Amino acid sequence: MSRAGTVNAALLAVLIGGAIAAHLAGELFVVTLATKAAIFALAGVGLNFALGYGGLISFGHAAFFGLGGYVTGILASHAMSGEPLTTLPYTMNGTNEMLAIWPMAMLVCGLAALAIGALSLRTSGVYFIMVTLAFAQMIYWFAVGWPRYGGEDGLSFYVRNVFPGVNSMQPLTWFAICTGLLLLALVFTATVMRARFGLALQAARRNPQRTVAVGIRPFGIRLTAFVLSAMITGLAGSLYADLNRFVSPAMLNWHMSGEIMVFVILGGVGRLTGPVAGAMLFVAMEHLLGGVSEYWPALLGLVLLGIVLFAPGGIVGILTGGRRRV
Amino acid sequence: MSDPILHVSRLRKSFGALTATDDVDLTLHPGEIHALIGPNGAGKSTLIKQIVGELRQDAGQIRFEGQRIDRLDAAARARLGLARSFQVSSVIADFTVLQNVVLAVQGASGASFRFLRPVLKDPALTEPALFHIRQAGLSERTDTPAAALSHGERRKLEIAMALALRPRAFLLDEPMAGMGAEGARTLVALLSDLRTEAPILLVEHDMDAVFALADRVSVLVYGRIVATGTVDEIRADPEVRRSYLGGDDA
Repeated sequence: MSRAGTVNAALLAVLIGGAIAAHLAGELFVVTLATKAAIFALAGVGLNFALGYGGLISFGHAAFFGLGGYVTGILASHAMSGEPLTTLPYTMNGTNEMLAIWPMAMLVCGLAALAIGALSLRTSGVYFIMVTLAFAQMIYWFAVGWPRYGGEDGLSFYVRNVFPGVNSMQPLTWFAICTGLLLLALVFTATVMRARFGLALQAARRNPQRTVAVGIRPFGIRLTAFVLSAMITGLAGSLYADLNRFVSPAMLNWHMSGEIMVFVILGGVGRLTGPVAGAMLFVAMEHLLGGVSEYWPALLGLVLLGIVLFAPGGIVGILTGGRRRV
Repeated sequence: MSDPILHVSRLRKSFGALTATDDVDLTLHPGEIHALIGPNGAGKSTLIKQIVGELRQDAGQIRFEGQRIDRLDAAARARLGLARSFQVSSVIADFTVLQNVVLAVQGASGASFRFLRPVLKDPALTEPALFHIRQAGLSERTDTPAAALSHGERRKLEIAMALALRPRAFLLDEPMAGMGAEGARTLVALLSDLRTEAPILLVEHDMDAVFALADRVSVLVYGRIVATGTVDEIRADPEVRRSYLGGDDA
């Protein structure tokens, strides 16, 4: 196994092993923390797809995280109340089936990303950052101002949605579902990045002029990457809503965009398991230091500063010790 | 003479009051190397950018194999077989030599929306790529990251990428720039072979290379072509000597 492969396996082993050990020790809260880390990691894997591999610095991924969450919350609350979602053009009911909610959340996020990306990808650099931020804030303010689904107060749905054959309320089972999706997303990312699409996407990041000169248009490649990225982050949003059985506009806020970006940067931009390392460190710090002082993000800021200045490859970069290879 | 592969006619481009391309007519015929020379600021780069599609002309036409290409974008022109190299070597630095050339083969194939099969395990990409790497004399460096190549090797990599586009014409922008004497000699030999693949429009400052390689030479001064002819004709042209070669015996 290559050194990068060893690091990837080790990070996942820590996450999964930690959750199983906590379960055996009866520390259910730690299992839930590990689940949260897995979900944040999945959100980061989504962002990393666009940011790390495509160089698309989206400061609006909370839009997809939150949309995935709201799709989940809205469908679940309708399933609970029995009230149809809409009766026009035909009756559409809510659902509490994860296997129905996930594709719906991903579809909504994909369509939103198609619209946002089609506009924002005409800009680049700091303008791209600002345009993605602006779109996300628009959706945020919309959620705040829409009383139908809780407005500012958010929307609770009491019972976690169901997954066929298992009890999703059991912490380790729920962890396994979330981590299973995280693993799928990692395999998907690794596969795509080795295929033609990934080669073109990474070439367009490094040298767009050269990419055009061999006959490849970056726009369509980037837009597709942005959509896939949003769908992965949206799926994470759906899981996060189910983790808390609650969604609120906070999931859509720019703070959330920043946090997802922090997972990626801490762990290593453009490194496959970077977001896994980043999310684990984030959740661990939040839990361990958050109990000591509410000012724990200041320490997180210091860590982030250190990484950006001295180890731009992030945690995974430090562990593999090598330059990033395609 | 046979029909030109590339035919630029009455091309104009202005930036404000500055006319960078002033009624330029230029042809590139099968099998030839046509050198474009001129002092700095003559508008060579602007002309190249219009031919490859990075800039849109104000007036005039560009035909490529009889078809008008002046409204196509740069990627579409590349896929028609208009292969270029850049003044400053332009490759994907953290890709290996093989990955760079595979990218070009992929670009020429027009199919980048494939998500599953690893490119390095796809013989439809790697076999042509390895062939062109050998053609450019880079076989020993196949798995080296482009960032680790020497300047001359990077030039060769660009040529391998150009070859991978199955070119109908090459547009080489100062390929000799920054090459040492030894490197320049190798490159002149490589370019001389290249013309059997496709004709070359060569923008070059190195007069030794131009006079060694070119079948025809055009001289661009202040956006205008002031002379076109064989190497001997250009050397003898009084206006060229005055405006460009500086009057001394070139």
